[in-house]
Amino acid sequence: MKWFSNFGSQRRNRELQQEIDAHLEMAIADRVERGETAEAARQAAVREFGNILLVQDVTRQMWGGAWFEQLGRDVRYALRQLRKSPGFTITATAMLAVAICANSTVFSWIDGTMLRPIPGARDAGDLVSLQRGERNFSPVPPFSYLDYRDLREQNHTFAGMLAYHNDWIALTGGAQPERVYIANVSANYFDVLGVKPVLGRFFLPEEESRAIPNVVLGYSLWKTRYAKDPAIVGKSIEVSRHPVTVIGVAPEGFVGAAPGLRDDLWVTLDPLGNDVWRRTHRDSDWLILIGRLRPGVSRGQAAQDLDTQMNHIVAAYPDQHLGANQITLDPMWRSPFGANGYMAATLPILLAFAAVVLLLTCANVATLTLVRFVSRRRELAIRQSLGANRIQLVRQMTLEGVVLSIVAGTAALILTSWTSKTFAWFFRASSAPINLNGSMDHNVVIGIAVFSLLAGMLCGALPAWRSSHAPAIEVLKAESANISGGSHNRRLLSALVVAQIALSLPLLLCSGLLLRTLRNLAGANPGFERDHILTASVGLNIAGYSHDEAQLIRHQILDRVSALPGVKVASLTDWIPMTLIQKRSDAYPEGYVPHPHESLLVENAEVGPRYFESLHIPILEGREFTLNDDEKGPGVIIVDQTAARHYWPGQHPLGKRLRVGGGLLTVVGVARNSTHTFVNESPEPMVYISFFQHPGYETMVQVKTEGNPVDLAPAVENAIHEIDPRMPVFDVRSMRESSHLASSFAVIESTLAGMFALIGLVLAVTGIYGVVAYRTQMRTHEIGVRVALGASRVDVLKLVLLQGVWLTGVGLAMGLAFALGLTRLIARLLYGIGANDPVTMASVITLLGTMSLLACYFPARRAMLRNPVIAIHEL
Amino acid sequence: MSTSMNEKGQYKNRVELLQGTLDMLILQTLQWGPQHGYGIVQALRLRSGDVLQVETGSLYPALHRLERQGWVQSEWKQSESKQKARYYRITAKGKKQLVKDLGRWERIVEAIGSVMYVKPEESAS
Repeated sequence: MKWFSNFGSQRRNRELQQEIDAHLEMAIADRVERGETAEAARQAAVREFGNILLVQDVTRQMWGGAWFEQLGRDVRYALRQLRKSPGFTITATAMLAVAICANSTVFSWIDGTMLRPIPGARDAGDLVSLQRGERNFSPVPPFSYLDYRDLREQNHTFAGMLAYHNDWIALTGGAQPERVYIANVSANYFDVLGVKPVLGRFFLPEEESRAIPNVVLGYSLWKTRYAKDPAIVGKSIEVSRHPVTVIGVAPEGFVGAAPGLRDDLWVTLDPLGNDVWRRTHRDSDWLILIGRLRPGVSRGQAAQDLDTQMNHIVAAYPDQHLGANQITLDPMWRSPFGANGYMAATLPILLAFAAVVLLLTCANVATLTLVRFVSRRRELAIRQSLGANRIQLVRQMTLEGVVLSIVAGTAALILTSWTSKTFAWFFRASSAPINLNGSMDHNVVIGIAVFSLLAGMLCGALPAWRSSHAPAIEVLKAESANISGGSHNRRLLSALVVAQIALSLPLLLCSGLLLRTLRNLAGANPGFERDHILTASVGLNIAGYSHDEAQLIRHQILDRVSALPGVKVASLTDWIPMTLIQKRSDAYPEGYVPHPHESLLVENAEVGPRYFESLHIPILEGREFTLNDDEKGPGVIIVDQTAARHYWPGQHPLGKRLRVGGGLLTVVGVARNSTHTFVNESPEPMVYISFFQHPGYETMVQVKTEGNPVDLAPAVENAIHEIDPRMPVFDVRSMRESSHLASSFAVIESTLAGMFALIGLVLAVTGIYGVVAYRTQMRTHEIGVRVALGASRVDVLKLVLLQGVWLTGVGLAMGLAFALGLTRLIARLLYGIGANDPVTMASVITLLGTMSLLACYFPARRAMLRNPVIAIHEL
Repeated sequence: MSTSMNEKGQYKNRVELLQGTLDMLILQTLQWGPQHGYGIVQALRLRSGDVLQVETGSLYPALHRLERQGWVQSEWKQSESKQKARYYRITAKGKKQLVKDLGRWERIVEAIGSVMYVKPEESAS
């Protein structure tokens, strides 16, 4: 009881002792006064008082809180019972711990990504992400600065609205330029997010659109590059060869407003004054907006309000607002900008799988518990006939399950503190500053407590309620006959086994489908060459070159890299497929009059001469870009098959003209379709623009090599540095490696589903083995009698096996029905395989059925080989 | 284990047997002034001419229960003989309860009396 004695009850106990002592003292004093000797008086007083401990005990019961002591007694009883069968205790705890950990791990990933979309922000639940126009998986930044200003100032539903633009730059001034991720932000950015600086200040409203070179450092950059210099504020650092002044440091943990992406530092919208165009033009969409709703305003109301404002803007400036303009708002957990759109499509499904694992485990542990209670039914019956009521018994037995699950929950908590951090393993290094991981905070702890409690109730209460049902008299009367504990328990045992098989089938089926999806994705032809391709990003736009200098350097890069031994083809691009990055702009054919609010977005990329050759993408009609397709030449464009069909269905696209971003470009070639982002995407139109005509924002060298592309990496880097040693080169990696990012989610899904399915299979098989073995053992005597009366060994085998076959059959049938429901959930995630793929289904059923029958065979064989004479003598 | 259970049961029964009556006696005793547990036993014995010998196993549970119900309050004080003891004092609520208990007691005594002292001719009719 020591665990439960708190300070208050200790004091009360002491006072009770003092009260009784005082009583005795006074009694002794009275007796001494009457002439008794001290010793005789003491003995008499104590005798007269009675059993002191007992008096204390009955008095304590008057204090209330007796249930608490009762609980303590029950816990001790449960612990004693669990200690008595260590095999069960350890097995059940381990199984529950694994199942709870499966749930809490996935939950910690959800918690770290979707539930904490912007770490460090105040009340992220009030923040909404704004999207204008078409909705898709990774939309381009939807707003221009002037539109943002109008929306921010004219809305009636937001307490604040911020804008940002993600970018990367080089920190120069050191020995080597260092790439850092940066965000151009509105002045109210930190204010709307509710973030306070640890040093200095953030931006002032008047700094927003003026060329004031101030920066705010991220905490980790301040820590790593500037060694937490406490006097950093006011100092000048060099960014892209321009001096800028540090005005503040953001707090630890805050890494920016894009969920799942990291910013290293923040500047205002145009700190150097070299981007006047995009902050003064309404058709330059480059900002992502996040708003904080006013208290009491719903997302729907706010969307309506913004829509109205946006319509005013579109009416005033129709030429700058071609395309769809409808405003939609998303809560940050599923914001289309950043990583949460992908998270929301993946993680909840995995949590559903984990929940099935937990249910399955509970069914398994419940089976074990029920068997234990059956073997204890005599003890239970005796206690019942001695006056314990059913509720008391159920409470005690349920408590055993609860104690188990608390221990398992604690183990899961320790495990999860490690597994929560494994999420980052799934994301390979890429050009994006991906900042995704699980988090282990109070949400997860509460989650584990809920999972544990649920598990404890399920695997404790159900068998307890059943077992307490047995009429005491009959149990005590019955000797060995009907030993498996009455038909009630037999039915429950069967139901539990059936449930385990029924639950593991969909897990196996889903994991089978996802694993085959992964294989299909890996084996799929993306429509372009992935082997023997090396790409490298050159930091031209961040190194401070003029436009003409940059163009010259690009030519030099092409020349030098092409001349390297081992290089077959070198080209330029500003986009690498399958890296989760997409670029879109408005486009429509010449002569076409767009309807208001019609979506005109099309994916596009700027590519250099010989781009298609290096990637092995065939040009079906016309030609590829050449060095002559430059700023002096006529505007040209290459479209893919989907774009050709989209813009000029049934016509020859060559020579047709397409209006893209203000220019009228003539189609000179049609390229075969290739994968843009995901192998399993539905084909979207894509247009390619000549790199030397419209230089891309990024300059990436794309090299087709003879041997292993990675071997050539140092040579390519050297060749670029020979042109200018200060030119930063980043993200030098093979195309194969870059494109892995696109399958990260398929890998996560299939890995976890595979692990869960394996757990499910083991649980289901051990579950049916346990039950059949147990029942067969209970029928040893009966089987002995049958054999003695002439049943053959095959008859015995049949008898036992039949039971298993029946359970397996019912389980599989129910599981199939359940599976058909669950696979519909994952249909979106599959590639190259249907959700009801008959081959997968048949193999999973065969696997599970065979394993189950094998599990039944061993106990059956044991029964068959028993010596009937010995068997009869057994109970 | 089982013997102590039985003993406990006996005490419990005794409390139940005297429930109400013992409460009333304690509250009545405290009407005359604050008193500690030992003092209550002595007072009851004296007043009843040695007939009522209250068991401590009934008295202390009753006192603690009365305190929880708010009918008495307790405080630690020095007795006349310099012994530190817990003194119980009747509260206003307790006084009301005492009146109620006494009324019930009188009705019971009267009822039992009218059963026990029935005249034979009345019972015959």
